Amino acid sequence: MKQLLNQKPIILLISALLLGALFLLPLVVTSPGLMQIFILIILYAYFTSTWNFVGGFAGVLPLGHSAFIGIGAYTSTVLFQTFGISPWLGMIVGGLLAAMMGVIIGLPTLKLRGAYFALATIAVGEGMRVLVENVKQVGPLMINGPSGISIKLTENSFSAFQFDSKLPYYYIILAMLLIVLLLTYFMMNSKIGYYLAAGGEEPEAAEALGIKVSRYRLIAMAISCFLAGLGGTFYAQLMLYIYPKSILGLDLSFEIAFIALIGGRGTILGPVLGALLLRPVSELTRIYFGSMLPGLHLVIFGLILIVVMRYYPKGLVEPVKILLNKLFINRLGKQGGPDGTDSAKKAD
Amino acid sequence: MIGIIEALINGLLMGSIYGLTAVGLTLIFGVMKIINFAHGSILMVGMFAAYWFVILTGWNPYFAIPVVVPLLYLFGYYMQSFVIKPIFEAEKDVREPITVIIVTTGIWYVLDNLALMIFGAEFRVAKTSVTGQIFEFYDMYFLVPKVIGAAITMVCAIYLYWFLKHSKMGKAIRATSLDREAASLMGIKQVKIYNVAFGLGSACCGMAACVLIPFYYVYPTVGVTFDIKAFIIVVLGGLGSIPGAILGGIIVGIIENVGAQFMASTWTELLLYGVFLFVLLVKPSGLFGMKQDF
Repeated sequence: MKQLLNQKPIILLISALLLGALFLLPLVVTSPGLMQIFILIILYAYFTSTWNFVGGFAGVLPLGHSAFIGIGAYTSTVLFQTFGISPWLGMIVGGLLAAMMGVIIGLPTLKLRGAYFALATIAVGEGMRVLVENVKQVGPLMINGPSGISIKLTENSFSAFQFDSKLPYYYIILAMLLIVLLLTYFMMNSKIGYYLAAGGEEPEAAEALGIKVSRYRLIAMAISCFLAGLGGTFYAQLMLYIYPKSILGLDLSFEIAFIALIGGRGTILGPVLGALLLRPVSELTRIYFGSMLPGLHLVIFGLILIVVMRYYPKGLVEPVKILLNKLFINRLGKQGGPDGTDSAKKAD
Repeated sequence: MIGIIEALINGLLMGSIYGLTAVGLTLIFGVMKIINFAHGSILMVGMFAAYWFVILTGWNPYFAIPVVVPLLYLFGYYMQSFVIKPIFEAEKDVREPITVIIVTTGIWYVLDNLALMIFGAEFRVAKTSVTGQIFEFYDMYFLVPKVIGAAITMVCAIYLYWFLKHSKMGKAIRATSLDREAASLMGIKQVKIYNVAFGLGSACCGMAACVLIPFYYVYPTVGVTFDIKAFIIVVLGGLGSIPGAILGGIIVGIIENVGAQFMASTWTELLLYGVFLFVLLVKPSGLFGMKQDF
């Protein structure tokens, strides 16, 4: 906590203002449709932040995160439908199952080079979708194959994770995002974070220094999958209807990876920035061109990705940081102290 | 029993076509150490090119080969030199540049969805003179275009292998994939090799596309199915190995076709993922992979 408060005052101020704005947003935005868009932006920022634990810090490229999101969503939903277990409990169970799955997959693959890991995660993500699409039911548990599950409606109830207004959803996902961002921050500044950073750049050199790279990657993977599973439950409760194509499979996995890379992987705010920029693009194209040009938003995503990788391989968080430095810290140079001059140099 | 033999041979035929697409993928990986995720989309481009060639001229589909294959070679060559090269250069020192891998995914999404916007989502079949013709052999029935396609891909794979082993360019490509720095010290121009490797990889897709056209549907996301199979194949055979890719392709084709005798075809897909994860677990270097490559 001390570290957290030890930042430059201007950065603290900006973050506090942003946070305040986010908490007060529902006062301004009252239409449920718009609220849904904001909830989805935050949800995708959350998904991408969980991805970031592995994709950003461990130096590998996971391309199958939808598998873990789907495990979370399906576990809590099936438990609720069959036994009436509260999705809050199902969320934890789903998260744990996702983490277990992540460890099982990570154990053999995290030792390998990046390309193999990327391929293995794709296979897991697609395999999970095909599996769910093929299974109608397991014992008393209804899976329903490709047609998916509609969650039983209850009235406004906290224990059933169903609310009439969008407001509770908004605050729940906002809290989840903040927790993940804090976790990311603490991990970056902990031993695990340093080990991962060392292993991400030069696995051989890190191994030679006695760091068990694959063990720390595995820890990151487990955390990431657990959190992704929790997000899956949230998605299921928000939509109240899940089917394999929506929550499993390549498209969601790639969308998450795209957001992370465009925003800036391996940074705390990169995923948030990416989601903030890309989600509106996909919503807007879906609303205005959805019927005429069905794939347009993915073409735009792909093109943005190619251009951003060409000019800002570290993601858009880089130019934004420089811009912020220019706007605030230089102008308030004296408050920034020695950092002010430092950032001015960077900005050149 | 006869059904299983028939499935085995059908798997062999289809598998050699899978093998050729995987050869392109493995060649690009060998040289640049990146997985080209846009590979299936390049195949899709080739299939649409061959489809329109057949529809517009009405000629035998195999006449499309001299048109589509060079076209795809140029497509791959210039895609590498305009889109991938600048990003690759920025990360030259990294052995496996993640940024480049993700950019090929971007290309995949752009190509697939552009095709969706231009041609629509419907499945198209090119009616050609060989489409639907059946060949009988000891009470077993095979599609004629599949047999021709497998023969053509085999010849191509053998030629490519010979080309890499004995021609000057092939030797330069192999030298680059063994050791980039040492190869450039010997005066091999890296950029040129990357372009050629990408072009050749795409040309393999073009060839596969031409032989697929007479008996396979064309639709914008057709590449994804082949893409994922190609990934499984290259890991099975060992990333960077050409004989491995062919053999892996045949194994995948056989698993798929023989498996379909015992279970629903959607389950064979799952079986493939299972085999893939098993290979990663037990022998990540695959059948013919080099130890340093994983």
